[in-house]
Amino acid sequence: MKKYILAILVTALALTGCEDFLTVVPETQLSSATFFKNQTDFEQAVNAAYVPLRSIINDRAWLLSEMHSDNTYYARNVLFGATDNQEDLADFSVPESNGTTANTHVLNQWRQDYLIIARTNQILSLIDDVDFDAAAKANVRGQALFLRAYAYFELVRYFGSVPLHLTPVATREEAALPLATEAEIYTQIEKDLVESVPLLLKKATQVPGRATEGSARTLLANVYIHQKKWAEAEQILTPVLSQGYQLMGSYEMAFPGNTANKNNAESVFEVQFLEGAAGLNGNFIYQFMPRPISAAELLPIMGTSNPQNIDGEGNNIPTPDIIAAYEEGDLREAASIGYVTLAGSFRDDKTYPYIKKHAKLHSQHNNTGTNWAVYRYAEVLLFMAEALNEQGKTGEAITFLNQVRQRAGLAATAAAGQTEVGEAIFKERRVELAFENKRWFDIVRTDRIQEIIVPYGQRVIANPLDYYYPPIAGAVPRSNAFTNIKKFYAYPASESDLSPYF
Amino acid sequence: MLNYYQTCLKTRFVGFLLALFIVSVSASFAQSITISGTVVSEGDNEPVPGALVSVKGTQKGTVTDIDGTFQIQASVGETLVVSFIGFTTNEVVVSSNSADLQITLAYSTSDLSEVVVVGYGSQIKREVTGAIQTVNEKELKDLPVSSVAQKLQGRLAGVQINQTTGKPGQGMNVRIRGQLSVSGGSSPLYVVDGFPITGDINAINPDEIQEITVLKDAASTSLYGSRAANGVVLITTKKGTKGQTNVNLNVFTGWQTVPEQGRLEMLNAEEFAQFKKDYYSDAGQAVPEIFQNPADFRDQDNDWYGAMLETAPITSYNLTITSNKEKVNTAIIAGFFDQEGVVRNTDYERFSLRMNTDYAVSDKVNIGVNVAPSYVVDNTPQTDGSRGTGILFNALHTWPVMPIYQENGELTSFNRFPANTGNIFAYPNWLRSANEITNETKLLNVLANTYLEWKPIKGLSLKTTFNAELRNSNYFFFNPSTATNQINVAIPAVAVSIRDEFQDLSWLNENIATYGKSIGDHNFEALVGFSNQRFRSDRTRIQADTYADDRLPTIQGAINVNRNGSISAVQEWALTSVFSRLTYNYKSKYLFTASIRGDGSSRFGANNRWGVFPSTSVGWVLSDEGFLVDNPGISFTKIRASYGVTGNNNIGNYTQYALVNNTINAAFGNTVFPGAGITSLNNSNLGWETTTQFDIGLDLGLWDDRLTFVYDYYTKNTTNLLYAVQIPQESGFTNFNDNIGEIKFWGHEFSLTSVNTTGAFRWTTNANISFNRNEVIELADGIDRVYGQFHITQVGQPFGQFYGLNKLGNYANAEDLANSPKIPGRSTVGSIKLEDVNGDGVITFGGDKDDRTIIGNPFPDFTYGIINNFTWKNWDASITASGSQGNELYMRHLFSTANLDGVFNMVSRVKDRFRSPENPGDGIFGTTVGGGNVTGIERDWPNSNFVWDASYFTIRNITVGYTFNNLPKAFKSARIYGSAQNVWVFTDYWGGSNPEVSMQDNGQGDGGNLSPGIDLAGYPVPRTISFGVNVTF
Repeated sequence: MKKYILAILVTALALTGCEDFLTVVPETQLSSATFFKNQTDFEQAVNAAYVPLRSIINDRAWLLSEMHSDNTYYARNVLFGATDNQEDLADFSVPESNGTTANTHVLNQWRQDYLIIARTNQILSLIDDVDFDAAAKANVRGQALFLRAYAYFELVRYFGSVPLHLTPVATREEAALPLATEAEIYTQIEKDLVESVPLLLKKATQVPGRATEGSARTLLANVYIHQKKWAEAEQILTPVLSQGYQLMGSYEMAFPGNTANKNNAESVFEVQFLEGAAGLNGNFIYQFMPRPISAAELLPIMGTSNPQNIDGEGNNIPTPDIIAAYEEGDLREAASIGYVTLAGSFRDDKTYPYIKKHAKLHSQHNNTGTNWAVYRYAEVLLFMAEALNEQGKTGEAITFLNQVRQRAGLAATAAAGQTEVGEAIFKERRVELAFENKRWFDIVRTDRIQEIIVPYGQRVIANPLDYYYPPIAGAVPRSNAFTNIKKFYAYPASESDLSPYF
Repeated sequence: MLNYYQTCLKTRFVGFLLALFIVSVSASFAQSITISGTVVSEGDNEPVPGALVSVKGTQKGTVTDIDGTFQIQASVGETLVVSFIGFTTNEVVVSSNSADLQITLAYSTSDLSEVVVVGYGSQIKREVTGAIQTVNEKELKDLPVSSVAQKLQGRLAGVQINQTTGKPGQGMNVRIRGQLSVSGGSSPLYVVDGFPITGDINAINPDEIQEITVLKDAASTSLYGSRAANGVVLITTKKGTKGQTNVNLNVFTGWQTVPEQGRLEMLNAEEFAQFKKDYYSDAGQAVPEIFQNPADFRDQDNDWYGAMLETAPITSYNLTITSNKEKVNTAIIAGFFDQEGVVRNTDYERFSLRMNTDYAVSDKVNIGVNVAPSYVVDNTPQTDGSRGTGILFNALHTWPVMPIYQENGELTSFNRFPANTGNIFAYPNWLRSANEITNETKLLNVLANTYLEWKPIKGLSLKTTFNAELRNSNYFFFNPSTATNQINVAIPAVAVSIRDEFQDLSWLNENIATYGKSIGDHNFEALVGFSNQRFRSDRTRIQADTYADDRLPTIQGAINVNRNGSISAVQEWALTSVFSRLTYNYKSKYLFTASIRGDGSSRFGANNRWGVFPSTSVGWVLSDEGFLVDNPGISFTKIRASYGVTGNNNIGNYTQYALVNNTINAAFGNTVFPGAGITSLNNSNLGWETTTQFDIGLDLGLWDDRLTFVYDYYTKNTTNLLYAVQIPQESGFTNFNDNIGEIKFWGHEFSLTSVNTTGAFRWTTNANISFNRNEVIELADGIDRVYGQFHITQVGQPFGQFYGLNKLGNYANAEDLANSPKIPGRSTVGSIKLEDVNGDGVITFGGDKDDRTIIGNPFPDFTYGIINNFTWKNWDASITASGSQGNELYMRHLFSTANLDGVFNMVSRVKDRFRSPENPGDGIFGTTVGGGNVTGIERDWPNSNFVWDASYFTIRNITVGYTFNNLPKAFKSARIYGSAQNVWVFTDYWGGSNPEVSMQDNGQGDGGNLSPGIDLAGYPVPRTISFGVNVTF
């Protein structure tokens, strides 16, 4: 009998000792055990690092940096509640407690930027250990560095000092890091971009839509200008002038269409969308429409085969202030701002302005492939003008400024002298780059928050009808409007709850 | 009775003398004689067919025939042992004049001598040291329901079985000793004929079951190791009765209805119109023309909910053939079950077959094969769910002024009122949704067990088994353009088809050696074994939409195949185990068991691959001690205690790995480029959830076991709970899968069996009551609470408590409003008055100044069951009832059905809402004046107005049967019966007909554990009246 028991035990040990039986890796999903092994893996990884830009551009950036300025406001629709998150941004009334806020847009901006950072960190930490084609590797590295810098530049401008993650998180303890100072963040951004410039391809050879050497130089120039490092900005930007970029023939043509005219000659960096059911589409123009808008009212703007009524509250509606900012004869006004009349509006004047320059005809309701221009050559010219003027090279600056004005159908600037030219450039940026999420940052970096936002708030509160409130009792700016006018947003509360550092 | 005792005493005495004689002279004198006799039952002297008659200590044995007679060869002085299930075993010593014996068997009041199935074997019940409970097929028959779990409701102490939905074949929530986990699931492990199944227990025909054993404490479950923490349910399927061949046909048919009692009372058309009229006039606004005269709607009521329901038939056929003769023991059970549902277009059909065969190849070798295929076809409309997904909820809150039928008698397809009536949502016709949308699952389930057993020497058994479970499930959904399950979707809708196919295969090989030996009064049994189990599931899901023609829902007929909705996936796991058990007792009086199991699992992290699960238990049969043995009142006393460790490995198959999502695609220009990113963090230390349990129990039999009583106290701690710990997303990830925290459970269980009367009128009662409690001891470091939408799970509190604002009433008048904390800009006279918990003078929802608090407890104070059985002459009857006390429900549907803006139809209680300080109503619902700014508070802020007591006492079943005498020769027995299921629910709960929804999984991805007790007015549980006939040939 002992013989049998022994036989069983031996068999048992033989079988159970087999660790292979217990190693079951996911068969229909890639895992850390199988990924980051070759060139394709890294190329796919860098593609995924671009993806959060779609959400940032489509759903956040215009809320945090355009409607959060004197360029646009919301069109109050009293039939709808739960609009506080958007209204608080436009009204400079984001609620704050112990330096944190529950505003969902602030939170999601933070999360999407850190998603880019996590994905690029993964690439940058592993790419050197895998052997593949050097040129391909340089291109992937360059894009990853560009994207990481882009995300940190957004964060540092929105929040000031933020946690600085440069390696992938592997444990629960590493998930939260202490806040790094603004200076530390800027140093890292500059380092990443300086490193990326030689790695990236020029626009002529890069896949259209990916970050190029020109994109990196322009972003870095923006980083320098934001810090008032004028000479560095001029230096890094100058080569871009001779890389084949040019202004498109008309202002309308500068903006990409639903499928055509994407990544055109004026485009320096564009966030890419694609219409269809694959989830790569945008719908920002729908978010920019005043409401309630009927299918019939939408049809001429969108040109879709299945227009539908939209309820809710419309956002990013051009203010009377920006409309007034265009000079007489500026071709950009009609190209940028259209008008639509809503039968369902409670206002006496049922006609609202909307952002025409981003409205491009497409086929399916609420599903657009229109790209978003982040950097255009027009801005490169204005960056040059500003960097030169601030260094006292006002004469050179004016030539760049006038190139932009000329396309807009305007005469050469009448401004003279460094201060006046500086002011002219600031004004030119407002109209040339209107509704391109530049306005808030321009106000911040030129230290004009008090000068511009405070009187703007007083105008809104004094004349609610001009700012699209309906003439209904109680439909006026809320009591907390324009009570929290600050340079930085508070940290997102949901993140602060989980971090010991802020 | 007297006769019996005289006979008994006489035979025993004679036997005793004979034995003395034999011993004193010589055993060689022993001479084999032929004994014939009759076995009859005590009291009524009816013959007992099928009783086993054996000669003690030998292999000799026979079985009584139909007249209860037997013949056997035995030597004078040997002892005949006569036994039969349901009777007390009798022993008769053979004497020289034992030629024509009449042996009487007393009805057993106790089952202590019964052999019960336990994990990896069986035990005599009196020697069991763990906390287990058994239910045999006799207790389960007659109930007109589809699943085993429904049949067990009310029968088991410490096991809460809730029917969360009336969908046929679905929604049974079984929870042993209140076990739950954050994300690891809480269903027990089901073991069918020794094989832990991975599929659905509902696919098994309940008529195939011989016996169910529920293992509750660690001592009885720990041999199932890393899967045992939620308790184990052992299911043993039917075998033949020794020496007999039986053919049994059991047929019942009946009908099901949804009782009016308990239905949610909604406004009818006239009342709804009156509400709308009052709504506008109270606000000082013009009343829309259509509602100016509510009496117009008096004869135009549309009961949308009632129209969804119908009376539905239920039918079951079971043919059972068993034969146990010579070397072959066979049971064949063929079943057909058809239950149409009380919601239109519901149908559940089950075809099942089971063939169990054991064959004794020789005295030493046995083999056996069980094969049980079943096929289930189930079509159920998408009845359950929240607004816009569950069509019953949708029907409930559709305006009763909207017509169901057109004037020509056809169903309307789409209803919308002019915007000035406050009609925001357009409603499709929900009857079309039920009738026209296909939502069908076809399930082929095959269970197979085989074994080879070799007994090379006395006491030693070597057994190897191979088991397989194959499940092929095909789901087909087709939503034609003429219907939709959603609100506000215009008809024609976009037609959508979904095909979802699973092919699951699980196999298990087990190898067990058992050795039993008695040395004097010391009895040992040792068991060692090892096993390997592997599971693989292949899934293919294809979703397509936009059909040119509703008649052709093929994939190729669709214009668009939905890439995001189409999936192919594999899930796989492997488990290798070694296990051992030692059982020892001295004189069956001092009992001891120890066991240990080691589980290696593919699910555990590389650094934590093996888990060890030990347990030990002791028992002491006090009634065998001198000081109790002669006590006339106490017939049996045993105390037992156990301690052990079990695990829960429902942590997902690949949770330890960092997963890469390779569909994070980017577009550049107009071209799609594939993208991939890591979407979760890996944890190589990840392991099972560990439950350590202590149990102490008392088994007591009084007055010859007329009254038996079982008590258990348990306490258990579950640690290392699998939890996706939230981490800051600056990391790029949302959470980290870790083993964290601790939950403590404890409880008391009592059960009582009483034979109230014997003789011609026999009445027995089984009753049980359980008190289960839990408390969160620890969550992750730095995290002391987890919020749900309506719940909080917080350290120091029970799991999943309702969380929100506490309603104090409505602001009675301007003075009350002025002097009370309020919500700036929103509170008005008559609006909901909430408690200012933090005392800052302002009512705040969420954030730093939150006034939310715990507002209710979904767990019952206690649950109980009571079963009465009666027999009188040929009649039998049973009444089964069960209840739950102190549990509360969150009446989630009120966010629509009490939306005071009149956007939806409402519960009729809104008629008593606040109208003015002079007419404040019953205080439940506030004023409608002020619109969403005011009414939105009581609707959208979770508060105690949603929480209601849902204690209930349900008469589950009443059955009455009649057994025929004097049958023609061809029949062995015949019985007819009538049975009523879900007879009556006694409850004060007014939010819907099913107060048991309390454990419903509301789709928040946590199995409902963190968010129990949400009532979304799902599929009602029907009342069933059935009649059946049960004939044995």
